[in-house]
Amino acid sequence: MPGATEPQSLTRRFEAEAVASLLAGYRPLPGVHDEMMDADGQPRPYWMPLLASLAELGREEVERRFRAADRHIYRSGVFYRVYDDKGGGERPWPLSHVPLLIEPDEWTALAAGLVQRAQMLEAVLADLYGTANLVRSGALPAAAVAGNPEFLRPLVGVDPHGGTFMHLYAADLGRGPDGRWWVLSDRTQSPSGAGYALENRLAVSRALPDLTRAMNVVRLAGFFQEMRASLTRLDRSGEGRVGLLTPGPLNETYFEHAYISRYLGFVLVQGDDLTVRDNAVYVRTVAGLKRADVLLRRLDANFADPLELNSRSQLGIPGLVQAVRAGGVAVANALGSGVVEAPALMGFLRPIGRAVLGENLTLPSVATWWCGQAAARRTVLDQLDDLVLTPAFQRPLPGLLENGPLIGADLDPAQRRQVERAIQTRGVDIVAQEAVRLSTMPVWRQGRLEARPFILRVYLAATEEGWKVMPGGFCRVSDSLDARAVTMQSGGRSADVWVLDKGPVEQTTLLPVTDRVDVRRHTGPLPSRAADNFFWLGRYVERAEATLRLLRTLSGRLTASAEGGGASVDTLLKLLIAWGAAPSDLARKLPARQVLAALTRRNLPGGAPGLIEAARQTASVIRDRLSPDAWRTLADLDALMREAIPPAGAEAEAYERADRALRALAAFSGFASENMNRLAGWRFLDLGRRIERGIATCRFARTLVTQDVSAGTLDVLLELCDSQITYRSRYVMVESRAPVLDLVLLDPVNPRSLAFQVDRIAEHLDVLPAHHNDQPPPHEERLAARLVAEMKGAEATEIELERLRVVEARLMELSNDIAGRYFIHRLPVETPWEQLA
Amino acid sequence: MIYDIRQATAYTYAHPVPVARHIVRMVPVDRPGQIVMASHVAVEPEPVEWTETGDFFGNRVIHIKIETPHTRFTLRTDARVEVEAPPPLVPEETPDWEAVREQAATSQDLTGGSPVHHLFPSPAAPASAAITEWASASFPAGRPMLAGAVDLMRRLHADFTYDSKATDVSTPPADAFAIRRGVCQDFAHIMIVGLRGLGLPAAYVSGFLRTEPPPGKERLQGADATHAWVSVWCGAAHGWRGLDPTNALIVATDHVVLAVGRDYSDVAPVGGVLFGSGRQGLSVAVDVVPMTERKGKAG
Repeated sequence: MPGATEPQSLTRRFEAEAVASLLAGYRPLPGVHDEMMDADGQPRPYWMPLLASLAELGREEVERRFRAADRHIYRSGVFYRVYDDKGGGERPWPLSHVPLLIEPDEWTALAAGLVQRAQMLEAVLADLYGTANLVRSGALPAAAVAGNPEFLRPLVGVDPHGGTFMHLYAADLGRGPDGRWWVLSDRTQSPSGAGYALENRLAVSRALPDLTRAMNVVRLAGFFQEMRASLTRLDRSGEGRVGLLTPGPLNETYFEHAYISRYLGFVLVQGDDLTVRDNAVYVRTVAGLKRADVLLRRLDANFADPLELNSRSQLGIPGLVQAVRAGGVAVANALGSGVVEAPALMGFLRPIGRAVLGENLTLPSVATWWCGQAAARRTVLDQLDDLVLTPAFQRPLPGLLENGPLIGADLDPAQRRQVERAIQTRGVDIVAQEAVRLSTMPVWRQGRLEARPFILRVYLAATEEGWKVMPGGFCRVSDSLDARAVTMQSGGRSADVWVLDKGPVEQTTLLPVTDRVDVRRHTGPLPSRAADNFFWLGRYVERAEATLRLLRTLSGRLTASAEGGGASVDTLLKLLIAWGAAPSDLARKLPARQVLAALTRRNLPGGAPGLIEAARQTASVIRDRLSPDAWRTLADLDALMREAIPPAGAEAEAYERADRALRALAAFSGFASENMNRLAGWRFLDLGRRIERGIATCRFARTLVTQDVSAGTLDVLLELCDSQITYRSRYVMVESRAPVLDLVLLDPVNPRSLAFQVDRIAEHLDVLPAHHNDQPPPHEERLAARLVAEMKGAEATEIELERLRVVEARLMELSNDIAGRYFIHRLPVETPWEQLA
Repeated sequence: MIYDIRQATAYTYAHPVPVARHIVRMVPVDRPGQIVMASHVAVEPEPVEWTETGDFFGNRVIHIKIETPHTRFTLRTDARVEVEAPPPLVPEETPDWEAVREQAATSQDLTGGSPVHHLFPSPAAPASAAITEWASASFPAGRPMLAGAVDLMRRLHADFTYDSKATDVSTPPADAFAIRRGVCQDFAHIMIVGLRGLGLPAAYVSGFLRTEPPPGKERLQGADATHAWVSVWCGAAHGWRGLDPTNALIVATDHVVLAVGRDYSDVAPVGGVLFGSGRQGLSVAVDVVPMTERKGKAG
């Protein structure tokens, strides 16, 4: 056919046109390197498949897919905590969907430079905590080490377990206008973000599934397997227990601690989960103390032991340093590894690299001057306009460098005089660095690509075969157009990093490869603290449910003025007040006012909002052990209870509110029973619920039922115990005393009956670790067995309701017994207080 | 001078403490100008773990763990220590303070005796612009180091009031400075913060004072408890010198050193953590008697 274009070149032309239109508004910043576009305004060839794919999908489809990625992030519960936010809020991790692409050759060179740097930093650590040759030889001034709060004197002379200080290392990199990568800072204390990198990869692969394969993007999973293997190898006792030591749920990257520990199969522990005995570290679990030989540390070293490090720390483990000294535990990274992060060291690394490795570092650091030396001070004062000032040891300098760096060029004359004086008197505290300009990468904004500056973080793990580099990383992309590195301290979004391979990449999945990981059906004994929280979560949720049932029943009776409601309304109100759910100061006010108070007031200990908040807070500390859906249900419920109830039609609204809340609680129960494995955590949650439900059932029955109880009141009891349907399917007659009591108290197949709760409690105790077949049963088991027998032997026609008080007391005793047996907690800590005079 | 030292410390708690871990720094060690002839520490209740080590600064440290529930924790130290006056040093003949600052900043020594460890803010002695400003009046350009430090010590002694009610063990130096009151611990911290603010190394020293003054002299403030003072670095040639701001004294033979560190947190005689709550009472009794005197009394 004359004039016809070949299909392939036609596609190519369309593709080029589509890409051109995608890039139409893309303007790299002047004088700055752009990752995607070359100096002539042409896209770099290795970006073409990605750009073509975005162009082909079209704006709407791309946006749809990016939204799906965001939903994935939201659903997996990825968050980070914002400290300066009012109330320490959580934010979903903001993802910038377009990944950074890095070519194979460039990556190889970068990785080699990072390995070299990691080797050097490890050698520096060994030297500083050992012979300090670098200081004696003059390569590093003593004050540039001694001024560092991360130089931990109690660890000097202590060999780390296995001989390695750093097990994980990360570097923040920027690419200068000349196209070279520079190390902006080193992360050696406890590098964070690898978990976010993993999560970003999952989310972006979900949005662009074919591309990662088509573009030969190297997978991340292998890196984590190697990291896991080398940490597990540090375990000398062979029990295979590695703890991930976290500062706790208030830490900004707690999500990542939970995520990584789950991904790697480590136990997530806080300081008070651990105890030191005879120079070894143990986890307090529901099955007693269990040895932990390896701690992957995400807690800053200074806080790790109040005995020998920061004595004010409430997060640490008293005696940990002594255990480290005795070789009883491996801490990764070793306590004190943070010392080489300090900017003060940066200026000395080049000569140190030559001294310890015998070769030049291939990856440069930002030019840095430590102002403790006269020559450096002169240079800095001469070139102040081109430099940025930062604290030498990451510790803010009051009155001078309190919030982030100072840009020399931005100083007014008064500030300049102040800076000059500070450099002259206490130059040891100050470092000046070259003002680095970062390169830019594309971000997706309102259907178009735009250039934004970014910092790349890359992770390395020490393995038996040397340092391994994670083939990818974590970009922090600025929201602004300011390409100066110093403005990138916080905020922004994160982007995935795709390291491209020359050939097809082996399709390992992110899930552990079976031939390298043993099949496991349990995750080790449950830490006591987690068990305690599960138990109380169960109790709070159930107590909230009982209160809400009461409120729904009450508001139903109030609006419909149902038959026989009168007497029971009074009783129910008294019950509400006795539970602390309704305020006693409103006792003589209208019942509707009391119901509204119990539904909305936050300061009532037994009110629905207070109980749900307590449940949510308890859940937040064991969030890593709950399914994201279960967690979100509680969070949504908490939000629901914070909504105001419009005054108009408040009574109907109250019913509606209680009803909605009950449905949300039912969803939570569904997630708990369907999504949680039947390990110890679930058992404690269920124990808490059963005990609480047992107590509530006793109370409902003995308060409502009298000798001459009316059918209407019995109906209320059935409603409170969610047993109306069962009753009506069994009996055609109106409610009468004995059948109702049988159903609510004694019927072992009614999941709402007292007998059912007691049976479940006994079953749980039978399985929990305190139970040994060859020993007499512990007190709580005997208590439960007696209750089971009592329920079995009782008869509805003869049941004495006063007896229910005793059952209630037994259930509370059971609760205390369980706490005493399994929740072996650390007591509050005090320090001695002698003042020298 | 040879001293017989006896110290008894007793903590009492309102509720039994089931477990306690302590770090005890109550044993003097040999140092330049000080020889420990004998020492002994007794602790009750009997600890289950007892480890003795030297810390980074060369102090004797005993790690103990007690697992007997107790409402009373007692420590008793007995020691015989010989103290010798340091070689004479004329303050006006020390190097000027700017030179000392430069020497410290460029030191190539990272061991425990190095001035570099006492050059920076530390946990109980954070930097304070107000204290530095006040201290700078003692250091006009070119003044010899020790002369400036002695002047600072005398000013502190003159301007501040000894008041055991005004502060407690965790009062920040800047707070004590603001009210111009405190005890030896506060005065030592304030002087340290002032010197460090100017880039000059200053260490914190805990120890004892002789209980009864030599005939014709005044009894020293702080003699009934564990005392604290300051050690200033006068350059590589002269090293460290003790200055006691509470008594405005250059340390000679009335002081016995227990421990040296960056501030109180490094040398607290009894550190550590106890599990449980119920802080109640503390008594400290110190007796530092020249051996000849005790013998004389006995004979």
